Amino acid sequence: MYEIEGKAIFKSYGIPIPRGEKATTPEEAKEAAEKIGSEVVLKAQISSGGRGKAGVVKFAKTPDEAKALAEQLLGKEVKGETVKLLLVEEKINIAKELYLGITLDPELQKPVIIGCAEGGMDIEEVAEKHPEKIVKQPLEVLKPFKIHQANDFMRQLGFHGKQLVQAGKILYGLVRVYFDYDATTVEINPLVITGDNEIIAADSKLVVDDSSSYRHPDLPWERLNENLKPLEKEAKEAGFPFVLLENNGYIGIIGGGAGVGLATMDTIYHHGGIPANFLDTGGGVTRERMAKALEVVLKTPGVKGVIANLFGGINNCAIMAQGIVDVLEKHKVDIPIVVKMRGHHQEEGWKLLEKYNVPLIKYGSTDEAAELLMKLVRERSAGNVSVG
Amino acid sequence: MSVLVDENTKVVIQGITGKHGSHHTKLMLEYNAKVLAGVTPGKGGSEVYGVPVYDTVKEALEQHPDINASLIMVPPPGVLSAAEEAIENGIPLVVIVTEHVPVHDTLKIKWLAKEYGTIVIGPNTIGIISPGKSKVGIMPGYIYSQGNIGVISRSGTMTHEISSNLTYNGIGQSTCIGIGGDPVNGLTAVEALELFKDDDETKAIVLIGEIGGSNEELVAEYIEKTNYPKQVYAFIGGQLAPQGKRMGHAGAIVQKGKGTAASKMERLKKAGVKVAKTMDELVNMIKTDGYGNVETIQKHIS
Repeated sequence: MYEIEGKAIFKSYGIPIPRGEKATTPEEAKEAAEKIGSEVVLKAQISSGGRGKAGVVKFAKTPDEAKALAEQLLGKEVKGETVKLLLVEEKINIAKELYLGITLDPELQKPVIIGCAEGGMDIEEVAEKHPEKIVKQPLEVLKPFKIHQANDFMRQLGFHGKQLVQAGKILYGLVRVYFDYDATTVEINPLVITGDNEIIAADSKLVVDDSSSYRHPDLPWERLNENLKPLEKEAKEAGFPFVLLENNGYIGIIGGGAGVGLATMDTIYHHGGIPANFLDTGGGVTRERMAKALEVVLKTPGVKGVIANLFGGINNCAIMAQGIVDVLEKHKVDIPIVVKMRGHHQEEGWKLLEKYNVPLIKYGSTDEAAELLMKLVRERSAGNVSVG
Repeated sequence: MSVLVDENTKVVIQGITGKHGSHHTKLMLEYNAKVLAGVTPGKGGSEVYGVPVYDTVKEALEQHPDINASLIMVPPPGVLSAAEEAIENGIPLVVIVTEHVPVHDTLKIKWLAKEYGTIVIGPNTIGIISPGKSKVGIMPGYIYSQGNIGVISRSGTMTHEISSNLTYNGIGQSTCIGIGGDPVNGLTAVEALELFKDDDETKAIVLIGEIGGSNEELVAEYIEKTNYPKQVYAFIGGQLAPQGKRMGHAGAIVQKGKGTAASKMERLKKAGVKVAKTMDELVNMIKTDGYGNVETIQKHIS
């Protein structure tokens, strides 16, 4: 989610944010700066971090300068994203920067609040070099978080008196955002104490769990797909996790799950191949979705062979085989596709694949499947493939 | 013995009237699992492959007091409520197959289960099987075989893969547990290892790990701390995964040299685990150490 969207949510939970306006054109940036009436900062709204380093956060003393800077920023390419939206904000007078965030701790299997009296930098680096500077506290998921707990946490970051009450409210709001929005991570970095002793969230980060999208229809989910490459988008729309791997890769990988996909990838490397991609079918594979999965993998530039490592657990081998032969019927596929498939309805699935002469591994290992595929690929390209 | 599941496991299937629920009811029955009842609110009074369906878990338990396990196969939005119903009605073992359960719901389920002393397996799991005895899950029974190796894996497909390779090499399994591929799981790998510790049928354990997270590191710590009495074998997937590419499992991502396959393998070795570089090597190691029980090889493999 963009900073501007996260901040709007933070504000509605009582977390103070700087005065700001959005701008999609240089004129709007100028108007925004006039409205704010002080020095402003223009921040490009993109999904990836590290904006300061990328040079897409700029300060303007006058509305005309804001307009000129907006002209430079809008349309700029940053990490594969095009800047289309700016946040024009009052420039805050910073006396101190802190870090405050909540994330899931896989070891504790609980969310944890993380605070640090030194913010504005790479918190992971601080955590590694000076673990003593990090304050951590797990959240109990079955008990509502209380104001007094928030106050006691913020006390450990050095707040007291009237300012502690303000700081406690901010954390209390942040915890509520974390739970209400199914967040996996929320962050304020930096949390700023101004020269006037006000506490304000100068940035926002809100990462929402994809699996909860049905509960949050108003969030900008479709934007997640905006910066994907066409093939990645096609796979995502069909509901498959799909990764493009090495640019010089020439083996397509379809795995029945992420784990087996990882292991198949390793095995292909072991046999001298270079994986081009990896697609995880997951569960709920229909004939159409299986065909789509194979098409996406075959369409990847440079693919000279495909290994499909499939299981009929929640899926059905007969249906998966149907999807595979549908592709063979529809397209002129002239590269080897080795299928290793076992599980529910395997006999029917095997029979169908054998009818279409698809190289098949029934009881053998992934090693055998990889070895067979590499042999077939080498035979077909008769030494044209440089094998590492 | 085996762990958690055996001939005396009596199952209720929540979501039995759904597409997956009904299909897997049939497959469970074909595996001779004792499926006593099903629950789908609003479908009480119907039957699925001869299994009576009730509106609530409480009613199913009134009619079948022996039920001691639930298999949850409902779509993600219904999982939290279904799991709460199973846990709060005192079912001691709850297996959640569903993928894409919101992690905040899983957190609630996990910690509610802790309060009730319930063992939850999953979500996003194939479930659990004690080959030849029973299963509470969606795995194809015939690629598993009865023997004395315990299997623990986050990845469902890797559980199929390794267990079937063991089977085809004449090495059977006592119980295979898919703990689930999500960042939060009910039963953890360490807890699964603890269960295997006191099971006489389990002579050795296979841990199937993957890059990301700290599962394997925690297992290594536990083995050292308890001076674990049984040999543990391990295979880690993603040894050659390009850095920083997310490979599907939430958490299967490597950052700043943490959670790499190499560091995990090293850590496990230090704890006395026999770590294989490849899946084939894993099977060979176990075979070489004499764990095969050839008579368990499935008849249909000619």
